[in-house]
Amino acid sequence: MTTTDTTTVEKTVARISLSGVHKRFGALEVLKGVDIDVEPGEVVVLIGASGSGKSTLLRIMCDLERADDGDVWVNGVPLHDRKRAPEIFGQVGMVFQQFNLFPHKTALGNVTLALLKVRKLSRAEAEERGRAALARVGLAEKADSYPAQLSGGQQQRVAIARALAMDPAIMFFDEPTSALDPELVGEVTGVMRSLAEDGMTMVVVTHEMRFAKDTADRVVFMDGGVVLEQGPPAQVFGNPAELRTQQFLHRVLDT
Amino acid sequence: MLTDWSYALQDWPTYLSAAWLSLRLSLAAFALAFALGLGGALARRSRYAVLRAPAAVYVEVIRNTPVLLQMFVAYFALPSAGVRLSPVQAGVLALGVNVGAYLTEIFRAGIQAVPSGQREAARVLALSPARAFAHVVLPQALRNVYPAVVNQLVQIILGSSLLSAISVPELTGTSMVINSRTLLTVQVFGIAAVLYLVLTNLVVLAAGLIGRVAFKPPLAVAARPRPLDAVRRLLPARSVPNVRKEAA
Repeated sequence: MTTTDTTTVEKTVARISLSGVHKRFGALEVLKGVDIDVEPGEVVVLIGASGSGKSTLLRIMCDLERADDGDVWVNGVPLHDRKRAPEIFGQVGMVFQQFNLFPHKTALGNVTLALLKVRKLSRAEAEERGRAALARVGLAEKADSYPAQLSGGQQQRVAIARALAMDPAIMFFDEPTSALDPELVGEVTGVMRSLAEDGMTMVVVTHEMRFAKDTADRVVFMDGGVVLEQGPPAQVFGNPAELRTQQFLHRVLDT
Repeated sequence: MLTDWSYALQDWPTYLSAAWLSLRLSLAAFALAFALGLGGALARRSRYAVLRAPAAVYVEVIRNTPVLLQMFVAYFALPSAGVRLSPVQAGVLALGVNVGAYLTEIFRAGIQAVPSGQREAARVLALSPARAFAHVVLPQALRNVYPAVVNQLVQIILGSSLLSAISVPELTGTSMVINSRTLLTVQVFGIAAVLYLVLTNLVVLAAGLIGRVAFKPPLAVAARPRPLDAVRRLLPARSVPNVRKEAA
């Protein structure tokens, strides 16, 4: 029997590869067979109405939810394999709608916690990397502020810095601007845009259609638990093939 | 009248050493209650029924039987099970076990009040469940319940007076002895009452100072235990600076 080197196989496939993913919460089937691939360096934006399954799909990609059925490969880790799934933690970054900053730690404390306790860096190394991550999101001078002392936009940028400090292969964003006042959205999408320009692989769930239009490599429209349509933003926004996509875009772009 | 007070106060070294014993055994009982409360809260939240069930029984039994009876069990009944404790040991055990049941529920509520997003953020950062608990959940839970926990410490100090029933020479028991010798009832129990007031307010003062330095960002004034809080509330309200508002 010839031994296949599975590790090289994993490396050559897409950075994210989902096939036949199903998920139900009780009687509600949220995902009804989703296939999606994301290439290294690609920026994919998931759009769709509330309840279409896009947030659940994102949470499955970072093992915060487990698929009932289907294969989920993320950064070479098979998340459908219960034993191996936890390997994904620390390899990907997640930015939440509600920020989920640790309120009892300063901005720098938030950013360095995992560097100290998981990566086992010395305090000096961790703080150097932490300050660099805060500088990356334009908040170097807020290192000693507590989350309660920061605006919503600043808190979300700290959350991005916290994820970046772990040097993630992929960044996930779950409606990162939905909890923000409208005038604070720009500072967060600005940071996300510059990450995309630096070649970060990103999967973003958002209602910010402008961000989707000008930053996404690919827009994925989800409806009723399936991927209904996907393609470059110009195609999906300019010439949507599906009636449901047209209706959705009509609703969100006109309001 | 005045001579009665000065006569009663001649016993001040006895009062003070009795108050000192009350404080020490209260702090010992509180340490035990704190450990039992934290362990009990973790057990009640465990996914294993073998841990959940005994913790639930502990809370139900202790909270629904009199603390005086629990002290009698510790002092009079345990010896027949082969455990012989001094009055002070039995008293500390009974008080600690009693308040531990209340702290179990307080800690459980405090842990539950930490939003699940905090654990999710910790998980994605690859913190193990134990690390996430120690560095993310517990500090926030303790902050949530700090005033309630300090209140339990005050309850222990007051409850320690019951230990006079198993012949512990703490403040109340000692006062009774002095009273039966001097018959200066008003003076003797008046002195004891003042000493309890001093003890509890000293403890609350210390807890307030600890709360000020132990929690980051510092606890809001309203959430910080302060001595004589009921009396302060009678005074005209002062505007309280708010950390969050200052920053905005």
